Amino acid sequence: MLLLKVPKNDILAPLQSVSGVVEKRHTLPILSNVLIEKRGETLTFLATDIELQITTHANGSEGGEDVAVTVGARKLQDILRALPDGTEVSLILDDKRMQVRGGKSRFSLQTLPAADYPRMAPAKTDASFTLSQGHFKALLGLVQYSMAQQDIRYYLNGLLLVVMGRELRAVATDGHRLAFGSTELQQDMPHSEVILPRKTVIELSRLLADSDEPLEVVLAGNQAVFRFGNIELVTKLIDGKFPDYERVIPKGHDKTITLGRVAFLQALQRAAILTSEKHRGVRVVLSAGSLKIISNNAEQEEAQDELEVPYQGDALDIGFNVGYLVDVLNNVSSDDIECHLHDSNSSALITVPGNATFRYVVMPMRI
Amino acid sequence: MPSIHSLPDVLISQIAAGEVVERPASVLKELLENSLDAGATDIQVQLAEGGVRLIRVADDGGGMDREDLPLSLLRHATSKIASLEDLERVVSLGFRGEALASIASVARVSIASRRPEAAHAWKIEARDGTLAPAALAAGTVVEVGDLYYNTPARRKFLKSEATEFGHCDEVFRRIALARPGVRFQLQHNGKLIHRLAAADPERRIGDVMGEDFSAQARRVEASAGSLAIFGFAALPAHARASRDSQYCYVNGRFVRDKLLSHALREAYRDVLHGSHHPAYVLFVELDPAGVDVNVHPAKTEVRFRDARSIHQFVFHAVQRALASPLGAGQGTAAYPVPDHGADVGGAGFIRSDGPKPAPVSPWHRQEQVRLDVEQRVPAYVDFVRAAADSRPDIFEAPELAAGAPAPRATEAGGSGAPFLGYALGQLHGVYVLAQNDAGLVLVDMHAAHERILYEKLKNAADGGEPASQKMLIPALLAVSATEMALALEHGADLQRLGFEVAAAGPLELMVRAVPVLAAGARVPDLIRALLDDFRNFGASDVLSAHRNELLATVACHGAVRAHRVLSLPEMNALLREMEVTERADQCNHGRPTWTQLTMSDLDKLFLRGK
Repeated sequence: MLLLKVPKNDILAPLQSVSGVVEKRHTLPILSNVLIEKRGETLTFLATDIELQITTHANGSEGGEDVAVTVGARKLQDILRALPDGTEVSLILDDKRMQVRGGKSRFSLQTLPAADYPRMAPAKTDASFTLSQGHFKALLGLVQYSMAQQDIRYYLNGLLLVVMGRELRAVATDGHRLAFGSTELQQDMPHSEVILPRKTVIELSRLLADSDEPLEVVLAGNQAVFRFGNIELVTKLIDGKFPDYERVIPKGHDKTITLGRVAFLQALQRAAILTSEKHRGVRVVLSAGSLKIISNNAEQEEAQDELEVPYQGDALDIGFNVGYLVDVLNNVSSDDIECHLHDSNSSALITVPGNATFRYVVMPMRI
Repeated sequence: MPSIHSLPDVLISQIAAGEVVERPASVLKELLENSLDAGATDIQVQLAEGGVRLIRVADDGGGMDREDLPLSLLRHATSKIASLEDLERVVSLGFRGEALASIASVARVSIASRRPEAAHAWKIEARDGTLAPAALAAGTVVEVGDLYYNTPARRKFLKSEATEFGHCDEVFRRIALARPGVRFQLQHNGKLIHRLAAADPERRIGDVMGEDFSAQARRVEASAGSLAIFGFAALPAHARASRDSQYCYVNGRFVRDKLLSHALREAYRDVLHGSHHPAYVLFVELDPAGVDVNVHPAKTEVRFRDARSIHQFVFHAVQRALASPLGAGQGTAAYPVPDHGADVGGAGFIRSDGPKPAPVSPWHRQEQVRLDVEQRVPAYVDFVRAAADSRPDIFEAPELAAGAPAPRATEAGGSGAPFLGYALGQLHGVYVLAQNDAGLVLVDMHAAHERILYEKLKNAADGGEPASQKMLIPALLAVSATEMALALEHGADLQRLGFEVAAAGPLELMVRAVPVLAAGARVPDLIRALLDDFRNFGASDVLSAHRNELLATVACHGAVRAHRVLSLPEMNALLREMEVTERADQCNHGRPTWTQLTMSDLDKLFLRGK
């Protein structure tokens, strides 16, 4: 039976929104499939990796009885992508196979029964709020690069969202550095905290638009649901105790310098060339009026760069992993940044003049 | 309810025999050690049926008086120690005074012995203690027959005659290796198996281990204070698939010690292919007070007072011996070559493309080809000798032609022909072919280059404290009480490695800083491995092992790949680098980087001179 007959892009776009979830390798074959469900005029695409589930819709389905089937997500996507633009594509289901027809091309794909496809059971809603997609995307962008990756402290492999009053906070740390950002909410909310898994955060950033379109966030037990456009993303949460971020954000650092973000970033990137591959340490040497960046590699080659700074305090020599500094400078957008230091054993705090709430904390390195 | 009573003496001895007399080989070991402790210089062993029917050990040692003979069979009777002080500084092999008694309780034993000054020998039968005069030159003869005749259960555990003889042979070799000054002879079922003349240690090792081993081994020699080590360690390319051929002695006593084998494994780690085991014969000497041999009745385990320094000492001595670059002269030539080969090459190469590789030009190639042909001709030894005499003008340094006995000497002696010779060309973009004094050298260029880069990276990374990244969120680590104690005790060592560790609770460690090199690793696993090494060996190599793994990956990616076309100057440069690089014989994964086909190997292929 004919499921759908639409121009190629009307089906490729929704498929691409969901297929990011599908992992390349699986022990459970059905997880490399996407669920296609026809209900009345609407066609629903759903993909999951059990932790994360994304649903989207396409209109224009033919009439007839309701039906659901699963088919290899990557293969279907590759076929659609390879067809010429503007081709009218039809999906036809017969028995155990799904046919894809477009122009003079014919493809017959194997299917697996939709009843076997794992779906997340909806949980009871605890709280929900709405904000603009663009704001939330920007908030994620400010902190997500600090998430840990495959750390055994599993709760660091994600991003902490805190709702309190009219404030939404996002925090990420890999144990060596921490990024903190916040944005305002329209409504007053009871306090709650959830940790979103790393993959969810990355998918969200990919799917969210830089627009004022609304995003509905629902916190429900051990799940969180994000609804925007015609996409619904359901994710499991990381069950764990996120470290006390407020305690590690230093207060009262006495040495403050303001630096041009791009100039500082470029100086660091130059110095990074002469750091060893595995040990990306640079020395930051602060003295009256000047900030020097010095690096050495294993072959004893040396790089030195200097920035003029309006600073008159005590001298300081402190080491950092250059990657941690480059990360933050790449991910904030202001012209200037402020660097707050205390001594060579204490963390450094980086703030942005235009964003009163953003905080980035990085621990020094003994070189 | 059974009442408590003391056990009869024979039963006590039989229980002790369970530990000491495991199989015929253990009897042989005890008897040989007794002979050596008696100062023997000539020991003859006769075995029958793998030692089960008969073990007869005859020596020319000090012998025993008539009065001592019955005592020698008593439990805890010995002439070797007399007080606790003696026990703490044991210099004899045995000292527990229970071997003969144990053996006598499970076998038919007779001892005949004569002191040099005695009029004649006396012989005692252990079964009934009867003494009778006997005929014997000075020394002692112990005969052990029908082992386990009275303990059939034990007898069932004996393996085939060949297996039991194999074990006896192994014991014999172990002891013979340790005492090169003593003449040994071993007969089995009337057949002569070994006859070892008194010799210097090097010679004895060759006699026992075979010429193969000597040819493939590097000499290990070092001393520091009262510590000394001597012996031979086989080059990694000649490692074996099993653990045999590992002989380690502490003060002349064969041991299987965890600490020493760990140190040796570490020393071989960088160069040994994963599934292989190194071969070595090593003698460690130290103050007897620094080692406790009274750990186990069989005495193959020892305990060191200063485990850490011994571990490091052995590790460094062996590692250094294995590391020395190809060019450096070693006690033994690793790749022995026939003398004529050296002569031929020594003469031929100086001419070929010389120490300064010329640019590749058609003209140069042509000349090269012509020379190759010319060089083949002198492969006939006599001919080249004649040629050297009659045409001295061809050879820039004719006196060197005869003055290069072994290729390794060339680097040190400066005769001009490098150890790995000069490149001829590339085979399918994978192997570099070169000719040296001995013949043809084949080099796996990727493997060789990988090793060169790896050694360079390691040298660059060594020295200086490792960079350490502080943690913003300290990692917590649940540990056992022992691990906690070790972590606190070795806090300074950990800090030197780049860790900052503190107790967060009775069984919880807080990690405040980690070395940058460990960034990708699982910190808890790494710390546990470190602490485990600290406990067992007093020092740890875990971190540098981890670092070296990273460097090896970098080296592997940086090395020239197969199918990359190299010019002759590039190939020659690679060969020269190999000669000065440590451990250049193996790539990072333990595979050999080069091999030699000598002229005589090649001659054999063509049935030349047959």
